Amino acid sequence: MFTRTDDRITATQAAVFLNNTVLGAGILTLPRSVSEAVKTPDSWLSVLLGGVIVMAVVTLMVKISQQFPGKTIFQYAGTIVGRVPGAFLCLLLIIYFLIIAGFEIRSLAEVTLFFLLEGTPIWAIILPFIWVGSYLVYGGINAIARVFQIIFPISIMILLICYGFSLRLFDINNLRPVLGSGILPVLSGLKSTVLVYTGCEVVMTLVAFMQQPRQAVKAMLVGIGIPIGLYLLTVVMVIGGVSIDSAITSTWPTIDLIRSFEIPGFLFERMEFPLMVIWLMQMFCNFCSFFFQASLGISQIFRLRVHTVIYLLVPVIFISTMVPKSVNELFSLGDMIGKAGIVLFLLIPLMLSVIWLIRTKGLKQHV
Amino acid sequence: MISLLSSVISHIPGWDVFFQAGIALLIPLAVSRIYKALYSLVGSGRAVESPGSSAKKRKGQSDAPVSPPPQARQGFSGNYAADLQSIKSAIGRNSDLHFKEFTITRLQKQAVLIYVDGMQNDRILNLQIMQFLMLEATADSFSPSGSAGQQLPFSQLSEASDLADFNKSVLYGYAGLLIEGLPQGLLIQPPEGDSRSLDEPVSEALLRGPRLGFSESLNENTSILRRQGRSDQLEMVTHRAGNRIQKDLVIAYMKDIVNPELLREVESRISKLDIDFLAESGYIEQLIEDNYLSPFQQVQNTERPDRVISALLEGRIAILLDGTPFALIVPVTFSMLLQSPEDYYERWLPGSLLRMLRFAASFLALMAPALYISFISFHPGLIPTELALSIIETRQGVPFPSIIEVLILEVSIEILREAGIRLPKPVGQAMGIVGGLIIGDAAVNAGIVSPFLVIVVAVTAISSFSIPMYSAGITLRILRFVGMGFAALLGMFGTILFFLMICSHLTKLKSFGVPYLTPVSPFRARDWKDLFFRAPLALMKRRPAMMKTQDSKRKS
Amino acid sequence: MCRRLMPLILCLFLLTVTQSGCWSSKEIEDLALYTGLALDTGKLTKAEQELEEQGVTYSKRDKVTATVQIVPVKTPGMEKKGGPQPLHYLNISGTGDSVFEIFRQYSIRNERPIVGHHLKIIVVSTELLKRQSMEQLMDFVLRDNDIRPSTMVFISQSRAEETLVSKRTDEIPSFHLRDMIQGQKRTSKVMKPVILSELDALMHAKRSYALQNLVTADGETEFTGAAVVKGDTGHWIGTLSQEDTECLSWLTNKSKAGAIKAYDQDNEPMTYEMKDMKSKIKARIDGDDISFDVSIKTEGRLIETWNSSSDADSTEYTEKVEHIFGAKLEKMTEKMMEKLQKEYKADVAGFGDALSIQYPRVWKKVQDHWDDTFSRSKINIKYDLKINDFGSFTE
Repeated sequence: MFTRTDDRITATQAAVFLNNTVLGAGILTLPRSVSEAVKTPDSWLSVLLGGVIVMAVVTLMVKISQQFPGKTIFQYAGTIVGRVPGAFLCLLLIIYFLIIAGFEIRSLAEVTLFFLLEGTPIWAIILPFIWVGSYLVYGGINAIARVFQIIFPISIMILLICYGFSLRLFDINNLRPVLGSGILPVLSGLKSTVLVYTGCEVVMTLVAFMQQPRQAVKAMLVGIGIPIGLYLLTVVMVIGGVSIDSAITSTWPTIDLIRSFEIPGFLFERMEFPLMVIWLMQMFCNFCSFFFQASLGISQIFRLRVHTVIYLLVPVIFISTMVPKSVNELFSLGDMIGKAGIVLFLLIPLMLSVIWLIRTKGLKQHV
Repeated sequence: MISLLSSVISHIPGWDVFFQAGIALLIPLAVSRIYKALYSLVGSGRAVESPGSSAKKRKGQSDAPVSPPPQARQGFSGNYAADLQSIKSAIGRNSDLHFKEFTITRLQKQAVLIYVDGMQNDRILNLQIMQFLMLEATADSFSPSGSAGQQLPFSQLSEASDLADFNKSVLYGYAGLLIEGLPQGLLIQPPEGDSRSLDEPVSEALLRGPRLGFSESLNENTSILRRQGRSDQLEMVTHRAGNRIQKDLVIAYMKDIVNPELLREVESRISKLDIDFLAESGYIEQLIEDNYLSPFQQVQNTERPDRVISALLEGRIAILLDGTPFALIVPVTFSMLLQSPEDYYERWLPGSLLRMLRFAASFLALMAPALYISFISFHPGLIPTELALSIIETRQGVPFPSIIEVLILEVSIEILREAGIRLPKPVGQAMGIVGGLIIGDAAVNAGIVSPFLVIVVAVTAISSFSIPMYSAGITLRILRFVGMGFAALLGMFGTILFFLMICSHLTKLKSFGVPYLTPVSPFRARDWKDLFFRAPLALMKRRPAMMKTQDSKRKS
Repeated sequence: MCRRLMPLILCLFLLTVTQSGCWSSKEIEDLALYTGLALDTGKLTKAEQELEEQGVTYSKRDKVTATVQIVPVKTPGMEKKGGPQPLHYLNISGTGDSVFEIFRQYSIRNERPIVGHHLKIIVVSTELLKRQSMEQLMDFVLRDNDIRPSTMVFISQSRAEETLVSKRTDEIPSFHLRDMIQGQKRTSKVMKPVILSELDALMHAKRSYALQNLVTADGETEFTGAAVVKGDTGHWIGTLSQEDTECLSWLTNKSKAGAIKAYDQDNEPMTYEMKDMKSKIKARIDGDDISFDVSIKTEGRLIETWNSSSDADSTEYTEKVEHIFGAKLEKMTEKMMEKLQKEYKADVAGFGDALSIQYPRVWKKVQDHWDDTFSRSKINIKYDLKINDFGSFTE
């Protein structure tokens, strides 16, 4: 076929898709949230450990999705656990996606209001953002994956450059001692690190769209591996740069790290400008991904046209964005999302696979 | 439980949020409504269906006849006098039409030569054709059984059995011959109108490369293409288009390279052209493009035969129209608009450098004023301190906000550029200098704009000139103003939104089924060696993967 | 009907948005950038005194006087070329008990709102730091969204506002101070500047720290020595001399440059130029006793000697000179350690860091009263000074 009209994405696109879904608000807040929990410079170990756990979960999700080629979780959940419980489960997932989408936009709006547009009403920031997002989502998974593919290299490059420049503040002593207080604080930080990987549930729909579902495991592991690496780098750079004490006290530690130095003579003396740019773009990806997942889910469960669902979801997302009343509430919402995420993405794949195993085994015995 | 409930209630946002949510729903609905309405409004006369219509509908429509029902054919009767009379009554009132009646001496048959003034070489007409017909032609030449064409010693001879066709061709410049007893008209000697000499293309000048451009004559253009080299695979198929005045157009492609499906798509779109007259290839471009509401062109136009031939070798298809030096190339991708044939003629390092320079320039041409506005009006904290200080010092006394300031200068530069095209060449250059230098300087001295802005606008203007495709430059100019609007409203955030919107739009855009942004996205690693930098020729072993060609290898 | 109305409604909406839009838009020339901030003890400026006599004031306690340096000063209309150069900066002060309120108070005196995106230096006077803690003073600065964490913090012995005044008209004092940090490459007497984010971390960890000290004399400002701020109280407790500062820089590995001057046997001065320098602090735990081994390794050249009888080439002479310089270095360091341990009882040299990295468990126990523990711990210092170069002049 010369012109492709089917909604299929390549393995690379799938990996980039997953990466851009996971890599988001956490870049700016992760160092603080994890340091608060760990309280020793070992927080990077928590990030790493959390990453390993998430990788295992992702593998599980891919495995179960591969049992149903071409079908998303919204379609196969019903097959596994029965129609009504399946629909309930999927609704839970959709609401979860919607809340995350709202959360992402809200944190974007808060950062923008704080650093870029003081005095602008919040709706003036949120509305255009949602509209541009829905314009993209309207184009289907192919368009989304392509935009992600454009944004991905730009953001990775600029992020790395920013961190590269922040090496001038880096002091390895800020990261020492390693495991000075034993492994326990690391484990306590695990909760808040798993939080930043929320969003990897999209794997369960993503696999259905892949051209070669056989490459799914590899693609998804790469897709989750990149954000793990970047989050690890973020935590290492921030704590190494401004030390754990400063990371705990600042609201957006990564921005503070980048704002802590100037590069005189360089075109941009201040690196927070490029950082903000790519972060905003990354948040856009995040939002679009969740928006897409939610609209896809609703349209598949209720058999509605995707485009109608997209229009209907715009005000819903807007309202879910406006629910938190302050930044503190926003952060506690983030914590709640993290907890819900742990339940959802540990529970759903595990439960589904166990039930599936029982069913198939049982069938075999009958045969 | 109650506390939970009350906290839930306390989190239900106020009525204003719901009002805003309503707006959030209405605006996209309205925009998409308008978009679709516009599409169906303008899209009705076009060769491409609107994207909203489903594939099924498209199939159904393509079966229906698109061209108007052909007029009743009127053949030649074979009766010389009647035929001549009907020709005369149809087109005889034209004063530049000559009917030269004569008798074929050896046969004693009546014949008439019909031709239009100035379209034929009179000397040949008089000396050779008339001489032959009147004195030498024998009965063998017109034996009713055999085809007349084989017997007559004219190289370019065709028969017209339809009277209306015959009339059109005669008026187009053919010399028409009508002979007693022959139930068809003969068209000998195609028109030989004056054509201008072949010049260097004005719109795409190169330092290195052939100084040869297409001209207005289709025959000449096809022959130029043929003369690029020997090949038995270069195929050119003539089509006719235009309801009222028909014109020839040629679809050229490499038979063993082009993707047959692409060829079919192009042919089907060409066959659906439904318009009175095609004045220029721009008509075709607008009628066959995928999305006419997009600011980006989805068909490339060029005057350069070398560009056409290398596009053909990549598996693309060229459309040449009679009467214009601009050939069309489809499908086109965004990166093609920033590439120049010179990239390939120079060695690969300078070629790559120039190409990357052009990408940077197009970014500047698009974004520089928007960035200026967002820095000056919104984010003084994002620019270096010393720069901020000098900008403040130079902007003291400028009475306008930056958006107005930028608009003043940008608009005057645009007007200047437009004026420069109209003016005769020597005056135009002088105008450029007067406009650019003097107006800029005077504006600064008068305190209307700041010197820093003059730099920004000048860089923007120069950048947009560095884009090898003129029409791509216009696109960027339009979008620049949109970007400025976004920046004036929301600063950096708006600029980013603008960028994201362009990205979203470009990823959805397709040119004849090829995603516009290939090979960036969808990512095709193989095509990257001819994107931002140009790999050495020895490394470019394969044709672009995006074209899905039949034969992908460039080298044996 | 509806279809025709839609575009109209849309246009109207866009119009209202664009008319009421540009909410945050503020032209850069309508803003006043402040590049320097000085905090002093509350003392009303002359204008304020007169205003207060007229009864113009608001409810406040005069605890802090904040002075900001605004650049560039607005020049009316077109600037005349030539002529006497006007001052490029403007210092305005206000007094009160909330830095933010003082800042907002400027707005009723100034036509342009002040923004802190380009704040470069903050100078706090020692007098103020005796009364108020650093945490209190820096709280606003850390919370504010405009002020970058890269702002450097200095301490001034005299009134801080004086450091923001310069005799020379062609320079902006706050930039001048920022650029003077470059001297760090030449001499260790200039400390590595402490920026806000570092200060934030130090304050949060309740550690004692040293900040660059400024002294003004006759309209000129000089970097001299370091001011020590006690961690648990956040108050200023004393100053280190220039030589102490130099030692401190070496001890904390913050500087590789510097010179040591000593007198040889004939009491003639000779100078050692440091080319490389490495120090290492090693903690040793012996029951409850904590002691530290400090080793300082340095290489350099003999750059100046006034004694013409010196015989530079011989190994013997080299050893002798090395010994003299070593002794001098030892004396300097001991003096500084004495001051830190006995007088100020504040660890600003990073001994706590060393302990926390090497013995995290022990550190946990002593963390809360570390300054006390530090003043009681024994510190052994070892030197390794090498002269391997005598410059290009060998006689």
